[in-house]
Amino acid sequence: MATYIVRRILWGIVLLLAVSAITFIFFNVFPSADPATLRAGRNASPAIIHYIRHELGLDRSVPVQFFNYMKNIFLHFNFGYSFYTGASVLSLIKDRLPATISLAMGGAIIWLMLGIPVGILSAIKRGSVLDRLAMGVALVFVSMPVFWLGLVVLFLFAQDIGRFHVLPGANTYTGLTVDPWKWFTSLIMPWFVLAATSAAVYSRVLRGSLIEAMGEDYIRTARAKGLRERRVIFRHGVRSAITPVVTIFGLDLGALLGGAVIIETVFNIPGIGRLNYDAIGHSDFPIVQGTVILATLFIVVANIVVDIAYAYLDPRVRYS
Amino acid sequence: MRVSRSLIASVAVTGLLAVGITACGSSNSKSSSGGGSSSQSSSANSSSSGGVQSIPLKAGENPVGQTLTGSTKKRGGTLTVYSSEDFEHLDPGESYFTQDYGVDYPTQRPLFAYMPNTANEVSPDLATVIPTTANGGITDGGKTVTVHIRSGVHFSPPVNREVTSADVAYAIERAANPNVANPYFPAYFGAGAPAPLQGTTANYKGGPIPGIQTPNKTTIVFHTVKPSGSFLVSALSLPISAPVPQSFAGPLDKKSPTTYGTKYLVATGPYMIKSDPKTGLFQGIGYQTGKSLTLVRNPNWNAKTDFRPAYLNQINFSIGGDATVIGRQVLQGSHAVQFDTPAQSAVKLAYQQYPSQITFTQGSGDHYVALDNAAGVFKDVNLRRAVWANLDRAAIIKLRGGSLTGSPATHFIYPGVTGYEQAGGAAGPQVPWNKSVTGNLQVAEQYMKAAGYKSGKYTGSATVQIVGANNGNDPAIIQLLNSDMTQLGFHTHVSLVDQSVMYAKYCGVPKQEIDACPTVGWVRDFADPLTVLYVPFYGPAITPTNNSNWGQVNDPQINAAMQKAALVTDPTARAQAWANIDKMLVNQAVAIPEDFDNQANLESKDVAGVNELWNTGTWDLDFTSLK
Amino acid sequence: MSVGASELLVEPEASVDVVELAGKEVAARSPRQLFWRRFRSDRVAMVSAGFIIVLILIAIFAPLIVKILGVPGPYVNDPNATDAFGSPLGPSAGHPFGVDQLGRDVLARTIYGARVSLVVGIFGTAIATVIGTVVGLLAGYYRGWVDTVVSRIVEVFLAFPVLVMGLGIGAACGVRGCAGGLIQPGLGTVIFIIVISSFTYIARIARGQVLSLREKEFVEAARSLGASNSRILFREILPNLVAPLIVYSSLLIPTNILLEAALSFLNVGIRPPTASWGQMINDASGIFNTAWWYMVFPGAALLLTVLAFNLVGDGLLDALNPRGESR
Repeated sequence: MATYIVRRILWGIVLLLAVSAITFIFFNVFPSADPATLRAGRNASPAIIHYIRHELGLDRSVPVQFFNYMKNIFLHFNFGYSFYTGASVLSLIKDRLPATISLAMGGAIIWLMLGIPVGILSAIKRGSVLDRLAMGVALVFVSMPVFWLGLVVLFLFAQDIGRFHVLPGANTYTGLTVDPWKWFTSLIMPWFVLAATSAAVYSRVLRGSLIEAMGEDYIRTARAKGLRERRVIFRHGVRSAITPVVTIFGLDLGALLGGAVIIETVFNIPGIGRLNYDAIGHSDFPIVQGTVILATLFIVVANIVVDIAYAYLDPRVRYS
Repeated sequence: MRVSRSLIASVAVTGLLAVGITACGSSNSKSSSGGGSSSQSSSANSSSSGGVQSIPLKAGENPVGQTLTGSTKKRGGTLTVYSSEDFEHLDPGESYFTQDYGVDYPTQRPLFAYMPNTANEVSPDLATVIPTTANGGITDGGKTVTVHIRSGVHFSPPVNREVTSADVAYAIERAANPNVANPYFPAYFGAGAPAPLQGTTANYKGGPIPGIQTPNKTTIVFHTVKPSGSFLVSALSLPISAPVPQSFAGPLDKKSPTTYGTKYLVATGPYMIKSDPKTGLFQGIGYQTGKSLTLVRNPNWNAKTDFRPAYLNQINFSIGGDATVIGRQVLQGSHAVQFDTPAQSAVKLAYQQYPSQITFTQGSGDHYVALDNAAGVFKDVNLRRAVWANLDRAAIIKLRGGSLTGSPATHFIYPGVTGYEQAGGAAGPQVPWNKSVTGNLQVAEQYMKAAGYKSGKYTGSATVQIVGANNGNDPAIIQLLNSDMTQLGFHTHVSLVDQSVMYAKYCGVPKQEIDACPTVGWVRDFADPLTVLYVPFYGPAITPTNNSNWGQVNDPQINAAMQKAALVTDPTARAQAWANIDKMLVNQAVAIPEDFDNQANLESKDVAGVNELWNTGTWDLDFTSLK
Repeated sequence: MSVGASELLVEPEASVDVVELAGKEVAARSPRQLFWRRFRSDRVAMVSAGFIIVLILIAIFAPLIVKILGVPGPYVNDPNATDAFGSPLGPSAGHPFGVDQLGRDVLARTIYGARVSLVVGIFGTAIATVIGTVVGLLAGYYRGWVDTVVSRIVEVFLAFPVLVMGLGIGAACGVRGCAGGLIQPGLGTVIFIIVISSFTYIARIARGQVLSLREKEFVEAARSLGASNSRILFREILPNLVAPLIVYSSLLIPTNILLEAALSFLNVGIRPPTASWGQMINDASGIFNTAWWYMVFPGAALLLTVLAFNLVGDGLLDALNPRGESR
């Protein structure tokens, strides 16, 4: 088990490096604008652009630039400075991270609380009206574009423009430390939109997985042993059926912590996704690189955690 | 100069002959000492041009005559300012953008400044009086300007000490430092100005300017090579003359680009950007890029030395978000104003439901479609005329919010600028392609035929590259132009990109050969028609990057006429000379004018906002108060 | 896209079906016939499949349909259809779905928008499937170091934040395309992004399938007869992959349609004035509180299309694998 974990971690580091390198190359080969020109502002002569290019190290070869960049990160924890404003990328990320974490964690809690019970219930009461209804609704939510759902929810419930003035609308996010109640209410709609689509997926997956698990022999044995149905379902059925859900959850949460661009855009939440989106538009490469690395880090860590959890949950899985 | 949102004119003037005197102004100007005869705006109320349904302004929506001070003004409180656009430069030596000016003038004190209720008449700010020939401020036939500055004006922490004339001298000289790279220094003060300061020859690369002398702590004397007089006085109302302490900023200005204005800053005005009192660092403290800016009171500001009342205690800027959402939040919320251009739907909402919370500042600039004159299909003047003839300018007005927000433009000098009437007024020169503001396909086809396309439709193989901004009202306007072009048979390729990328990579770079940039705009810096036409259309002003002559217009006749007109001193003759140039530009269809703007600005119900008539109606944070 | 642990192909027990009246021969049905039979009996899936076919026809014959419905084309601007402030007017006799800010008819644009979604969804998925299959075949058949290398590369692609790369590519290739014109802006870029983000899914499935198939007796038999590797791959293994590939790639189509819509919503997808549902929703995002029709109809179209593809995909999956319960 220990060697397995170590191997996964080492591979994770390799992944991180590979993704960083590819992103680096990509944005150096295809930048959406010359960063030196952008950084020089609206009034630079060719001379100052050349100077800035040298200052930012843009005139060195790409491998050298990449090496210096990675060295800065791992040795000095310095993610560079924005081409656009000179602000440190790390400070920008730190500033935006709480919003993304608030969004991701809150959404994740809700979708788990929704998706898992619905999935289990539907599996137990397979074929019933409840099951059909739940799966039908789930399917509809799975098929919905997230941004559209966000707009529809705003259209219905936003305090400023909605048909029913219930919850704060877009552009109302405030930090948890600034105003906890406003923080909470401004996130309810984004959480719901986030959770709705994900919960739908999870309930479907869990349902299918649980139904299949319930058909296995060991379930029959457990019942034959005289165990109560609830124990059979949860202790035996769900435990093995939950593995695909764990896998997906880890990946989804990892991806989400890297920034949910769409939801952050629709509700104007100042998170990592939005930071990344704006930076791409400005060709503010250090920010893009920093956020991509952060997002990949979350995904890789999630992958590792999920694999370990998977191995723990299902002892048959120990890759050679 | 650059305006909020898509009303942008980035100026990068090299040290050649560029003279781009641009000052934002309103149509309801009193005649300035340097300007020409005052011109009344014909678009003061609603559109007079055909094709656009008139909507009457409601009471209080025209900010002319607004209350500046008095008992209705409440002292104290915090104002929230929303803008979907971020600032470009907070260094007064670099700013050239209406939104930046909205922060510059409350925090810095240039030699001269504008009271909110005027667009053409400067008032003394750091200076004690406006120099004139009568009071001995302008002497030596206009070649020497002497300015006396007030005492008792102090810098904010950590500098703290009193402002001296040497600080003003340094502020101007640092503008020529490539690490600061002020965009209009070459045009007004340096080698490219009509009356350059002494010592700023083409070889001048920074450092003390011989033409600026400081005989004592409160006197500063400017010597120009040719008579400039009131022209120089007007130019000194720009933020460049706001004092900068050399001991503090000097080391910062050695960095490329300077960190004065990006990390550190000191203030002389009633407000300052919240910063560390020991170091002056504001980045990360008072300014989160792309997110927020906080203005607090400058503890060293002395109200007795300033005309600014400064009612508010604190101003919080919230940057980013969708302009429509912001508009609603301002209208329905409290203690808030919007700084950038409201979306069309917000204009309607305000006019219909919150009429006392919106103002329309007349004559606040113009927009046009820049066409590449130097390469591609639009090298041919007849093709340019054809596209102009077919463009539905009335529809573009609608896309901005209707006639309240402006009227169809028929030439380039806009209402309120001297020369507007002489250049044709509202109807403009009556050349065939300009007659119909809704577009006329038959006329367009005639010019297609004149260009050699017998069927009246383009049959060539070239693709027209159109690049525009992807926010606000722009995408709709661009698609409108696109369909009017495809109607003539052109094959087009539309790209919507981030606004700053549009200028930095595409429209502002001649080599990219972008055929059409549909939503460029211009505002003058002060009351002189030259400033509306020079930088955008003068051949030698073209630069390889950050070019503002987006169409790369380089017509020898027009160039020669501009050189001559720059030197005309008699105001009436000057207005006429530039009006004639405007007619030449229309004749050559160098670009397609879209609209004469009446900029809209939104405020909450409990804000007694004051609009800067000289700065597209941007809310004046020094005079605005809560109710 | 989250799909549970991929089910391996399960060959249903060849069963003797309903016995015909005496006199006819008793015939067993092939797995393929059983597959289609099960699918056909799934009414919801059949209805959805019908809907998709109708949608494809609508997309193909869009100009004709627009004419029949009597609305103006999708690119016809009509300044008179907006009010004095420029706000679009809602559903009316001449414009059943209302108009957008340029006065263009929303019904026509919604119809034409189907073209974009279907082309991107179907062709993008098809290309991703081909690439994913090749990759999966190589990894699963040759195993060893080939498998390791290929699988690792696939993992790198999987570690990428998809939307970020999509945004980056879209922004970089926006105006003049990239890779020397290989990736054209607009449709080309979107398909490229879709392929990059979804081929990994097919690759993993294909690999899993091949891994188990290669141990089967018929492969061993072919090998003992002296068949070359390529012959085995193409003649023996590939045909058995077709069914699961169809099923899983059809489950991929709705995801890719949503991805295209998301990219268009974020301004890096299909370029205006081409009508794309995501783009239309983006255009509406500023004014939807008053101009609701402009947001609702394209969104509903998107929802119905994706739902239909999901239902068909579910139906195919259930038909393929009857042990896993159907809905």
